[in-house]
Amino acid sequence: MEFPNHHRHIVEDLMSGKFILPQERTYQVLKENEQSYLYFFKASFNYDLKLTQDYAYIVSDESNEMLSRDICIFISLLSYELDRDGKNFLERIQFSEFEMEEIENYFTNSSYIDLILSNKQLKDADSRKNFINTLNRRNIIEKTSDNRFVFTSAHKFFMDFASDIVKFENTEKED
Amino acid sequence: MKAEPKTILRFLLEHYDVIAELFETQSKDGIIAFEVLNLIVSKHESDIRSQLIEYKILSPVNDNYEIRTVYYNLIEFILSEFKPMLPETIEKYHTSIAELFRKIRENINGDKVTLSQRLNDLAIEVRSFYEMVERNTQSLLQETRELKANVKKIDYREKIIKASRWIDEYIIPLNKILDINHSTSVANKLYEISEFSNKYRLNFDDESARVQFEKLYFQLIQVNDNLLRQSKILTNELLPLIERIRTESIILTGWITFLKNPYKRKVPKLLKRKEVSVYSASTFFNAAEIFEQFKNDTDVYFEDEEHNDEKWIFDKEHYTAKLKENLPVENFFKWCNKTLKEDYKTVEIEKFFALTTLAFDEDIERDFGLKAEFDKIKINDLTITVPKITINQHGIS
Repeated sequence: MEFPNHHRHIVEDLMSGKFILPQERTYQVLKENEQSYLYFFKASFNYDLKLTQDYAYIVSDESNEMLSRDICIFISLLSYELDRDGKNFLERIQFSEFEMEEIENYFTNSSYIDLILSNKQLKDADSRKNFINTLNRRNIIEKTSDNRFVFTSAHKFFMDFASDIVKFENTEKED
Repeated sequence: MKAEPKTILRFLLEHYDVIAELFETQSKDGIIAFEVLNLIVSKHESDIRSQLIEYKILSPVNDNYEIRTVYYNLIEFILSEFKPMLPETIEKYHTSIAELFRKIRENINGDKVTLSQRLNDLAIEVRSFYEMVERNTQSLLQETRELKANVKKIDYREKIIKASRWIDEYIIPLNKILDINHSTSVANKLYEISEFSNKYRLNFDDESARVQFEKLYFQLIQVNDNLLRQSKILTNELLPLIERIRTESIILTGWITFLKNPYKRKVPKLLKRKEVSVYSASTFFNAAEIFEQFKNDTDVYFEDEEHNDEKWIFDKEHYTAKLKENLPVENFFKWCNKTLKEDYKTVEIEKFFALTTLAFDEDIERDFGLKAEFDKIKINDLTITVPKITINQHGIS
């Protein structure tokens, strides 16, 4: 049986919960062999492969719910604080670089401070630094230096979740 | 109107502040209430109510007032404060322009004076149409930018509603009006008129009509260019901008809803990291080993054993008596086998072993012979090797 190039790389990345991004060569291989990979992951592990124009990743019931929740809290707080600060949060997250100092400022002065303090991964500067490294490992952000990073297109996965909340609530109201 | 034009213009200039405030009131409330008029006039300490009526700037509506359209439009134009109009209002130009054009085409060889008048009216309608489109695009752009900066500090949900309404009710229909490829659009009709004018500006017997056609033709070229520019503003600038406002507001509303109860909401599924790599040097062989187990499998059925037989209990007294009867027994184990075979059709090993326990009876006198000898006894499928034991006597007898 022949597998496409970079097969091992693709499987290892996706199985370790990473998002594969369009600028990676593995993304192209996935795109070219979309059907085969959909079948491969379903038949081998009962996982669903999601391939969008912004990222590829795996959906499974074996979910790390805590991490997912903390990421949602992190991005939601950042979006909220950026907007409160008069910034265009979507453009900033999409296109610009963040410095840890800026993140620290937003988090320490946030009106959601109780929520932040009660969250293990976000409660203080050290935890947040580790958390940023976790995001980096998952390809949700890309560290540009020790204390600077940019969001990758995988952040859209979480933005879609936020819009789905509104859509879901609107549908519920209509029903 | 008795007053001189210059007098009216001077009046407008002198009392511009009052008039601007009246304009603002009417824009907001749709009408100027009698009390509001009095209030504004007294605030500026200039009682100009009679001149406002005399110069026909205000007209009474029941007990209230409104600024006459011509002045309203003038002030609106000066202030560049246009409210976006519903495209239905602009769409009416399609009917008026198409109708004038139809009449011109059908009566091209008719009365020259009427033709000239119609060409003139058509030019006016085209100009009005274009001005209205331009005003609408500009005002939509301005309103959108205000919405973007959230000058009025409106709620996100309201922002979504507003942005969606502008897209669906203003921008998309307006874009249709300006779409030259759409057969029923005003832009398409203007293109048709421009082709027609081009033909007659070069080839028509009446010179003044030819000049008018030429004027119309160049006006239409200009208008078409301008409409194209407006259409580009709509599709390239306004639509993405307002779409972005809508998306942003939806996302932020979602996040704020999420933050109200972040631990109770379902979150997106994120794969748990697998600590062990799916690949290792031995993965292939491990997998092969597992799969080989299933390579030549045949179906195996397990059935519950039936236990219909009554449980057999060794009757020691009975067999001791039997042993005594048969004494001396030359080969004890062979005797056991033979005795059981006499009593039962098949001899189970349990029965055989139970019977052999008699050999341990203290009252028995066992003789193992001088030299150890062994016999083979077959019990069902089992062959067992046993020593030769002779029993000569039981008890004192």
